[in-house]
Amino acid sequence: MTKPNPPVLKRFAVAAACAAMLGGCNPHAQYDASHQAGSNPPLPSLRYFFSPPMQVPTYVGWHNGDTPKVPDGLKIEKIASGLHHPRQVYVLPNGDILVAESNSPNEEPVTTPKQVIAGLITHKAGKAAKGANRITLLRRRGDGSGEWDKTVFIDHLHSPFGMQLVGNTLYVADTDAILAFPYQTGETRITTRGVELADLPNTINHHWTKSLLASPDGKKLFVGVGSNSNVGENGLDVEYRRADVLEVDIATGGSRIYAAGIRNPTGLQWEPKTGQLWAIANERDEVGPDLVPDYLTSVKEGAFYGWPYSYYGQHVDRRAQPQRPDLVAKAIPPDYAIGSHVAPLGLLFYTGNNLPAQYQGGAFIGEHGSWDRTPLSGYMVAYVPFQDGKPSGPPQPVVTGFVSADQKHIYGAPVGLAQDRDGALIVADDVGNAVWRVTKE
Amino acid sequence: MTPATPLPTYRSRFATAIFDLLNPVPYGLFVGTLIFDVVYAITRNVFWGKGAAWLVTTGLLFAIIPRLINLCHVWIPSRRYPVTRLERVEFWLNLFGIAAAILNAFVHTRDAYAIVPLNVILSIITVALLSIGQIVHALDKFRIREVIRD
Repeated sequence: MTKPNPPVLKRFAVAAACAAMLGGCNPHAQYDASHQAGSNPPLPSLRYFFSPPMQVPTYVGWHNGDTPKVPDGLKIEKIASGLHHPRQVYVLPNGDILVAESNSPNEEPVTTPKQVIAGLITHKAGKAAKGANRITLLRRRGDGSGEWDKTVFIDHLHSPFGMQLVGNTLYVADTDAILAFPYQTGETRITTRGVELADLPNTINHHWTKSLLASPDGKKLFVGVGSNSNVGENGLDVEYRRADVLEVDIATGGSRIYAAGIRNPTGLQWEPKTGQLWAIANERDEVGPDLVPDYLTSVKEGAFYGWPYSYYGQHVDRRAQPQRPDLVAKAIPPDYAIGSHVAPLGLLFYTGNNLPAQYQGGAFIGEHGSWDRTPLSGYMVAYVPFQDGKPSGPPQPVVTGFVSADQKHIYGAPVGLAQDRDGALIVADDVGNAVWRVTKE
Repeated sequence: MTPATPLPTYRSRFATAIFDLLNPVPYGLFVGTLIFDVVYAITRNVFWGKGAAWLVTTGLLFAIIPRLINLCHVWIPSRRYPVTRLERVEFWLNLFGIAAAILNAFVHTRDAYAIVPLNVILSIITVALLSIGQIVHALDKFRIREVIRD
């Protein structure tokens, strides 16, 4: 009988420790958003991990009159608080601001052990709060006090996100359908039930937001529909009419795929100079801290942007199987990278003149922030200058301070953006449960 | 002269019963993982990959108690029941098999086809080591009988 062999035991302990580290280590990002911005961003090679690298700040919220930070020349005020997950903002012609208080319908079934863990982590960062499933109206008091009144505008919705007023009809994109509501200027409450204009892809709702944009002639609605997975792991049959921009005919409710292969087009806007449709999109995760950069792009009719088979043109992602070389061959790269994992969820082409000249003519982007990267990226409203209808410089931080300097705590996270009647920038904050208004100092 | 008392072949009825009840479960689940992993690699139907993730994860959960019992049995020596060399070999085979399964559970958190081919390789390692462990266990039984007969 031999004694247990201590060197063997020790060797095993070392091996086990290495395995644990492999599983848990966070590879440090090499690029920050400004280094990975532009039409031809550096793309390191794909990496797979033993467990998805994560860095999630702990939810704190805004206390004692704390606000996000803005650069000199700007000021920021809170115009609404105590909301339930305000996700999108929309300004009506009379200056009233609509706020969609909304979060995921949580209809995605748990089909892997990983989802059990991921659910707990989302909760920790305050991003799992239940949405109120309603639209709230904010109206500035006429007494000059600068205070805003808050009333429930439309209740009992189903994870609403996109809002567009066309004539006297307000279109609301729930996660499962576009609803039409009659609207008269000055109304503060709509009690009539919405009439369904068109249904929207509604299985799983992994990416649940349906962004909405009306054509200038008021005849079409464009809908940004996110994918039903990161990269096809729920099967490709559930991606039918997903990861695309749908064009819905308002007269008939009929729809078609306008552009495809855009993983999660969360914001759609018309570029004011060219009249071209632009979108922001969230690209795929879990292939490294510097992959794949999220982007801002013009959306070309009939174009395919790669998801899930490839990214930035012909960079093949073999995770999506069976592969489709025919689709990869026709995939076009997006126009402008804005950094990896910044999670753009709001887009606004600024056309006002309240803000200083350096913020005029370009696009603001609400970056909800990363969860799978060290250091964190996003967690700010960024500004991308435009020249001749094209981005002319990397995203610059405008509204910041949503996370603590040591990146351990999160106070809020910017989402939808809008421009109010006075040309101020309106920012929905679905973690801080507030709406912010940024103006010239 | 006192008559020879029959010597039981176990140290604890309770531990032996629990061990024999739970120990086959992870082995079967890991064999299932291997089958699902191979089918996923071939068919590319995500159902098999997700099934494999559940199999390897539940296999590890079921392995905790029998492995702890085995750990105490092999490394906390008893004068009445000396641990055999084969039992120690079996311990190490299981240990490295489980270590491969832990890595494999992490690999199975990847999305879609990113788990291939590492999932198949690690499943083969786990099943091979545990299978050899089962054979060693059988050989050890034969030996004990001979000792008792002597």
